[in-house]
Amino acid sequence: MHLELNFKSGKPAYLQIMDQVKYAAAMRALRPGDQLPSIRDLAERLRINRNTVAKAYAELEHEGVVEMVQGKGVFITGNSSPLLKSTRSTLLAEAIDAAIVQAHHFQIEGEELVEFVRERLAAFEKRRRD
Amino acid sequence: MESINAVEVKNLIRKYGKTEAVNGLNLSVQPGKCYALFGRNGAGKSTTIKCLLNHLRPNSGEVRVFGMDPRKEEVEVKARIGYVPEVVAFYPWMTVRGTLDYAASFRKHWNRTLEADLIRRFEIDEKKKVSALSKGMRSQVGLLTAICPEPDLLLLDEPTSGLDPIVRREFIETVIGAYQESAPDRRTVLVSTHLINEFEGLIDEFTVIDHGRDVIHLEADAARARFKKIRVRFTGPPPEIKLPDIFSSKSENGEVELVTDNYSDEIQAQLQALSPESIVVENLTLEEIFVAVGKSKRTNS
Repeated sequence: MHLELNFKSGKPAYLQIMDQVKYAAAMRALRPGDQLPSIRDLAERLRINRNTVAKAYAELEHEGVVEMVQGKGVFITGNSSPLLKSTRSTLLAEAIDAAIVQAHHFQIEGEELVEFVRERLAAFEKRRRD
Repeated sequence: MESINAVEVKNLIRKYGKTEAVNGLNLSVQPGKCYALFGRNGAGKSTTIKCLLNHLRPNSGEVRVFGMDPRKEEVEVKARIGYVPEVVAFYPWMTVRGTLDYAASFRKHWNRTLEADLIRRFEIDEKKKVSALSKGMRSQVGLLTAICPEPDLLLLDEPTSGLDPIVRREFIETVIGAYQESAPDRRTVLVSTHLINEFEGLIDEFTVIDHGRDVIHLEADAARARFKKIRVRFTGPPPEIKLPDIFSSKSENGEVELVTDNYSDEIQAQLQALSPESIVVENLTLEEIFVAVGKSKRTNS
């Protein structure tokens, strides 16, 4: 999977990793049984501290999104609890709330924000088609 | 054991003649952390690192490495340290192989498997004389000699300055991958650099040094969450903005730019009361935080 970090987002790197894995799982880009990169591989690839990756994976395991199998690796769980509709809604509500706060800082509100979301949706649609 | 800091510096003073290179510096690095010293050239970063290695003797103050005084227990201290200076010095007549064996002969422990892996990864010809190596390759050999003993503390003094981007990338990946591979909670990194972006993802905590003093100690995630750049645009000439906790501020073409580590709804309300045309709030990278902190008045006190 493709992971990308933004150090200008104000959000800790381990949370960015967690969110991206959760979204990928919720959008079925990652399916139960799919393997994630090892801590070392991901840390090297993103050039981040391996403690950061370890923390992200440990939290993801705690939330039931992944399972760490000793000597084998990190896998997306078959357990679909994080993919349940209510869980997804909660996740999404958190992300939307964060975006609304950010938009407020940028003084983008109401209809303008909704319009922007539409633009982004279109951009994603386009990317998926390409 | 766990409670002993990897590095503890208290009120360090080191002069060159009458010039104070380090002037009352404090620093605490916990084991297992990746800690950075940020500062401009001449801020006192290298001098501090050299005091940890007993390459320089402090005029006053206290320096401890794993609880030991480098002046009194130099051998024990150095046994636990790997060091990569900005310019790596080797005996020019030695081959790479000879250089590595020579470095290994001073060490109780040397991980041969790690050595072989890195030689392969860096594509280094062991039969070459070190004098024939490029600057990039010399620094790679330097890194090899520093991490093959698997030291508890890796001291990197401007390690990637003057290297090309690909070598830099490999250098940092090696520190992350190979050095921290075994017992990551005991592998401590102290890096001094002004190439902050390169090390951004690696750094847990950092200290900004200016004029030989520690200006501020910060935890990287917390700093990135707290520090904000606020750009306030006015239609007419901007009013004077007085707010607490402002690290830097500049005014240009009707726009005032402020950096604060304490942005709140209250501050936003205060700014809004000045009826600006717009307020834009941005998060900052470590480099931007360093620049803002470096310009702050606290530096000059």
